[in-house]
Amino acid sequence: MMMPLQVDPVLSHAMGAALAVVLLSGAWQKLREQEAFAAALENYRLLPAAMVGWMARLLPLAEALAGSLLLFQSTRLPAALLAFALLFLVTSAVAINLLRGYSEIECGCGGFGGGVGDQSISWGLVARNLVLIAAIPWIAAESIPRDLVWMDYLTVACATLALLGLYALVSQLLATQPRLSALRNS
Amino acid sequence: MIDAIVISNVLLWAVVLVLMVTVLALARQIGILYERVAPMGALMLDSGPKVGEAAPRLDIESLSGSRVAIGGAGNSRSQLLFFLSPTCPVCKKLLPILRSVRHSERSWLDVVLASDGEPAEHLAFYRSAKLTDFPYLLSAQLGMALKVGRLPYAVLIGDDGRIRAKGLVNSREQLESLFTAKELGVASVQEFLDQRA
Repeated sequence: MMMPLQVDPVLSHAMGAALAVVLLSGAWQKLREQEAFAAALENYRLLPAAMVGWMARLLPLAEALAGSLLLFQSTRLPAALLAFALLFLVTSAVAINLLRGYSEIECGCGGFGGGVGDQSISWGLVARNLVLIAAIPWIAAESIPRDLVWMDYLTVACATLALLGLYALVSQLLATQPRLSALRNS
Repeated sequence: MIDAIVISNVLLWAVVLVLMVTVLALARQIGILYERVAPMGALMLDSGPKVGEAAPRLDIESLSGSRVAIGGAGNSRSQLLFFLSPTCPVCKKLLPILRSVRHSERSWLDVVLASDGEPAEHLAFYRSAKLTDFPYLLSAQLGMALKVGRLPYAVLIGDDGRIRAKGLVNSREQLESLFTAKELGVASVQEFLDQRA
């Protein structure tokens, strides 16, 4: 698909681990609040009513599968492809609704930002997901063969935590943004 | 030299992670502040008729065609007005809870659903969500009289036609807190906690 991209294993390990946690926590929230997620999905008005229930089950399961497969080096490539497909799907769903002018609907994202019904969709959300999508080639890329020393593991662990922190921060700010604009306009 | 770089790297990571946690905490606190400050974010909305005041008296035709009288003294039963919308996920999550409340409190309480908007959309929702056991009112007037800002919102009207409790409800606990508030004779459980604090 493109020239064989080679990246340092530290980068792909850290990004892969962070994306895995993002997907797993999102899946867990969606499964826990399945009814709210199904209702949020219905609001996107993209699926026929009969498919909403199925999709509400299928999406978080696929998300959990991608997240858990990302954790292992041997299954990382198919997991990255699945994660790419999922992120592409949900991000286009958000973008389509924003273009249609339905910006008031709830995201149903779950995950780090809080519950399923805490965040409404916005272009900021699309941008956040595009960054996640942009990380996928790095995760799926071949590693430059080199021996890892303890320092590399420290870098992987700390970088994973820092990336997750950044993700949580962006999600938090995106969730509070509508409240700020409501305050400004009142 | 290598030692110095290793030590500085470890130290820098530690600082980065501590700063990360701090910034995250700050962002959360700002979010909570917005929620408290914003007129629409608080659990208990201070606008509209106060708890203890008489509810507006209205007579509204429900989707099924029957007429429902809101407020007014001399009723033998209390009313729970539940404001919802077909596009509100949390409202749908609460529907099964409303059914169980309707059943368990049926000796003294009528549960009434209220919304406003296009009748066709609401009628489709009324049928698909199997809400035909409930009276379903479509009235912009009712929502405006009670100053309903965010959904799902519930107002408990006592048998004397006065508002006993009201607030934004996101969970079974918050819905039940309205009944608790009524029993305790306070506006909301938050007010009860504030009084005791």
